[in-house]
Amino acid sequence: MRKLTRRQRLSAIALSVLAACFITLDLGGGSLREAHTGVRGTLGGLYRGTDALLGPARRWLEGVPSAGTNQARIEQLRREVARLNGELAKQAADRHTEAQLAGLQRASDGSDHTLLPARVIALGPGQGFDWTVTLDVGSRGGVQAGQTVTDGAGLVGRVLQADSDSSVVLLAADPGSGVGVRDVRSGEIGVASGAGPSGFLFVPLSPTARIEVGDRLVSGPSGASSYIAGLSVGTVTAVRTSADGTVRASVRPATSPTAVDLVAVILDPGATVAGRAPLRPGR
Amino acid sequence: MTRLRLVGAMAAILTVLLLQATLVAPVLAPLAVSLPAVLVAAIALTDGPSTGMSFGFAAGLVADLGTSHPAGVLALCWLGVGLVCGAAADRHRLRHDALTAGVVCGVAGSAATLLLALVNAGPVWTDALRDLVPVTVADTVLALGLLVIVRRMLRSEALRAPRPVLTDLVIGGRHG
Repeated sequence: MRKLTRRQRLSAIALSVLAACFITLDLGGGSLREAHTGVRGTLGGLYRGTDALLGPARRWLEGVPSAGTNQARIEQLRREVARLNGELAKQAADRHTEAQLAGLQRASDGSDHTLLPARVIALGPGQGFDWTVTLDVGSRGGVQAGQTVTDGAGLVGRVLQADSDSSVVLLAADPGSGVGVRDVRSGEIGVASGAGPSGFLFVPLSPTARIEVGDRLVSGPSGASSYIAGLSVGTVTAVRTSADGTVRASVRPATSPTAVDLVAVILDPGATVAGRAPLRPGR
Repeated sequence: MTRLRLVGAMAAILTVLLLQATLVAPVLAPLAVSLPAVLVAAIALTDGPSTGMSFGFAAGLVADLGTSHPAGVLALCWLGVGLVCGAAADRHRLRHDALTAGVVCGVAGSAATLLLALVNAGPVWTDALRDLVPVTVADTVLALGLLVIVRRMLRSEALRAPRPVLTDLVIGGRHG
């Protein structure tokens, strides 16, 4: 530590006294208010300019210590986003189900059938057939083998086997099955054989029947088919006449056999139903 | 004092106050690390107590007027920083001088906090004790960098003192 000169000591004392005077003046009243205001205003403008220049660097530096925390926060927000997306998807699915149920109710009203809504819970081969689905309703809900299954818009298939809480449905489009159908326009009846994803192959009983593209086919006639009559089966998309005069028509299915989700089993009149409430006409 | 040194001092005060307000204080909050105080210390350690005192008083007064606390508090504290650092300068050992600057600035910061607590202008006196050690460490680190720059600038042809300061002569005599 060096010794200060006399001049330095005097300067130090003078400046200290001056600083003390400033403190006293500022504490005592508003003598320096104008000076404060002027300097604050000038520095404020300069602060804004400097902040515009250094702001990005400062924000980056401020973020460095909390980088780990931010990572945790990002993970938390990602989980939150995933949860909210799940809820959105669930809501969309609920809306879809609501629309499907409304469609089934309309189908019930229009046909006077009692429908038991059911969800497809499994797909796959079964019972020696290739095109089957499993529904989440069974005999406790009034489901019996042979009952027709619809999606509200068209024919889906028929119940092959009903357990207490599930049932296996043979899709109408199964390549090994056939549906008795009627051409709505001409009234011609025939058999629509399942053709898998392509839909059906319709062969009218009468070799002279005139089938046209765009003709709509419905199940029936009543009593001659294992299906409830009057359900839409599909629309004719192509007609071919072979050399022996046999007419064959390709039919686009009314219901996609590969996109069934919520369907309904058409219950027998007066069936005892436990558990899920069926959709009754006029309700 | 040459005109160039005066302009340089004003520019340094302004620059360091802006950097303190927009970069150092926000980044190192809640530590009350003071870049202007460290600059005062660095200048005093390089140029002697007279320059240190003048620069510290002027910078402190501008900083005081730019805030809402009573004017003169920082001027008094930084005047003390200039005085002590100018008198305690080693000038040959950078780390020693940086440590001196850090300790003196840390103590001055605590003194300013105590003074402000005394005039009831914001902080409480416990803040002064709580922050003393970490602020001293941070000030020392800052001083290490700032001393190199200040030494280089104040030894340049344009900003060199017109007359050698007394401490230089003493050191010159001691080191032979």
